[in-house]
Amino acid sequence: MKHIIKTSIFFILLLFSFHNLTALSINFRSFDHEGFTRIVFEADQSFTFSLQSRASQLEMRLPRRADFKTQSITVENSRLLERVTHEFKADSSIFTVYFNGDVTVTKNFVLEKPFRVVFDLVKSEKAAVLPQSIPENTEKPQSVPQADEPAASKPKPIETICIDAGHGGEDLGALGKSKLPEKNITLQISQKLKKLIESKTGLRVIMTRDKDSDVSLNSRASIANNQQAQMFVSIHVNSSFRKSAYGSETYFVSLQATDQEALELARKENQNPEDPSETIKNNELKMILWNMAQTEYIRESSSLAEYIQFELNELLGTRNRGVKQAPFRVLMRTAMPAVLIETAFISNSSEEKKLQNEEFLDKIAFAIFNGISKFIAYYNRIVK
Amino acid sequence: MTAKLRNYLFIAIAIFIFAALLVVVCSRKKAEHPEPEILSKTIEDGSRIEFIKVKLFYYSEASSFLKPVFSELKVPEIREGLYKKFIELLLAGSNGLITPVPDGVQLRSVFYLQKMETLVLDFNDTLINAFSGGSAAELEFIYFIVDNICYNFKEIKKVKILSGGNEHKTLAGHIDLEKAFFPDYSRVKNE
Repeated sequence: MKHIIKTSIFFILLLFSFHNLTALSINFRSFDHEGFTRIVFEADQSFTFSLQSRASQLEMRLPRRADFKTQSITVENSRLLERVTHEFKADSSIFTVYFNGDVTVTKNFVLEKPFRVVFDLVKSEKAAVLPQSIPENTEKPQSVPQADEPAASKPKPIETICIDAGHGGEDLGALGKSKLPEKNITLQISQKLKKLIESKTGLRVIMTRDKDSDVSLNSRASIANNQQAQMFVSIHVNSSFRKSAYGSETYFVSLQATDQEALELARKENQNPEDPSETIKNNELKMILWNMAQTEYIRESSSLAEYIQFELNELLGTRNRGVKQAPFRVLMRTAMPAVLIETAFISNSSEEKKLQNEEFLDKIAFAIFNGISKFIAYYNRIVK
Repeated sequence: MTAKLRNYLFIAIAIFIFAALLVVVCSRKKAEHPEPEILSKTIEDGSRIEFIKVKLFYYSEASSFLKPVFSELKVPEIREGLYKKFIELLLAGSNGLITPVPDGVQLRSVFYLQKMETLVLDFNDTLINAFSGGSAAELEFIYFIVDNICYNFKEIKKVKILSGGNEHKTLAGHIDLEKAFFPDYSRVKNE
C-alpha cells in the first residue's frame, strides 16, 4: 500500500510537471500611441488563434486552454479600450476586448521571442471588418481586410503581370566563358514570355525594362506595385563557383529574410510609450512593413514557384533543382505573388551553349508561360 | 498485496517510467555543436601556444553540400583577432575543395556586436567589384562564410557582410545584403 501511495504521488507530481511544461500563459497590455492604440497579447509560447469581430469588440479564440491573470481587466485611461475578458469554453480560451466605441483594426501581426499577437487600432465610424475566422497559422503576419481599404484587401482575378528581365545596362549579370552576358538572355526570354502571355491570354503585361537599360532593384518592385501588377516574375540566368552545377530552380522569398525587420518591429513594440522620443511614428512603421510586403503573399508565391518549376522540369529536361527560398531583394518589396526563376547555369559550359540557342530560350519562355497559366487558373478559382 | 493490486502497481510504474522518459525526451535540447576547447602545445622554439581545433566547410565539384575539413587555429589575445584569423584561414582554402570567394577578396576588419550576437565582417572593395556571379554563387559565398563562423563560434548568431567599409544592397543583384544572415546548416553535409 505504501508503494502505491508513493507511486501515486510521483504520478501526480509528474502530471503537474507536464502541466507546467505545456501550460500557456498569456499577458495583455495596451498603449495609446500618437494616432493609434496598440494592444498586445504576449505568451510564453506560440499559439494558434482565430479572430471574430462584433460591434465594438474583438474576440480572439484559442483552440486550447490558456492561463490569464484574471477573468476581466478594466483598462484605465485608454482612448479606445474599456476592458478585456477571458473565459473558457470547452477546451478553448476566449479573449474579448471591449472598445468604448467603433474601432478599426489597421494592423494585425505576430512577433516572436517572446510570442506576441499585436493589433493596432484607430477610432472609426465603421466597426472593424474581420474575417469570421482566420486560418490558424502563426508563422506569418496576418493582414486584416478592411471594408474601406482599396485593392489588396479584395483579391481580384489576375489581369496584369509584371515581367522583370534581370540585370541590364551597366549591370551585365553573370558571364559565361564566351563572355555572353546574362542581361541579354534575360531580356530575350522576357520578351518571348511577354508575347506568349499577350497573344494567348490577352492579359496586360508590363516589363521592368524592355531594352538594355539600368533599373535599380527597388525600382523594379515599385514599377510592379505602381502598375498594380498581380504577379511578378523575375527572369535570371544562374552562375555558381561549382562549374559542374546545372539545372533550373525557382525561388520565392524566405521568411528569414524578414527576421531583421521583425526584430526591429519587436524592438519598437517594446519601446517605452511614456517617452515621446521613442514613440513609433506611423510612417516609420509603414516603411518597415513595406519592406515586408512580400510576406503577405508567401503562400501564393510558393504556389506560383511550384507551377513554374514543374513546367520547367517537364519541358526543359534539365536537372530539377527545385523550388527554393532566399532573401531576394527584388522580391521583398513586391506586394503580389512574386518569384525569381534561375533558368539555367551560364557557368556550366553545356548549359551556356544551350542558352545561346534560340529554341532553348523559346522552350524556357513556353515552360514559364505554362506555369503562369496554371497558376492563374488556380488563383482565379480561389478569388472568385 | 493481492494480485489485482500488484497489477495496478505495475501499470502505474510502467506509466510513470514512460512519462518520465517522455519528459526527458521532450525537454532535451537539440544537441549543439561543442564550443571550441582551448588547448595548448609546445612548438619548435620551445614556447607554448594556445590553440583551438576548428572545423572548416568547403564546397566540392562532386556535391552541392559543404564538406568538413579539420584545422587548428592559434588563439590571439583578443576575441576579434580569433575571428579574423579564422576567416583568413577559411579564405586560404583547402586542397581539392572549392572556396566560393572571388580572387583578391580579403578581410579588412571584424567587429563583434555582443548584444546583437552579430559578427560584422568588412571585406575589401574587391568583393563587390569582382563578384559577377548568379544567385547560386551569392548564396554559396554568403552561407560559406556564415555557416563556417556560426558553426565554430557558438556566441555568434548572425553575420553581417560589408565591403570597403560600406553596406551594399546586394553582392551582384540578387540576395539582400543589408540584413545580417543566420546560418543555414541545411547546406552542411551531415550537420
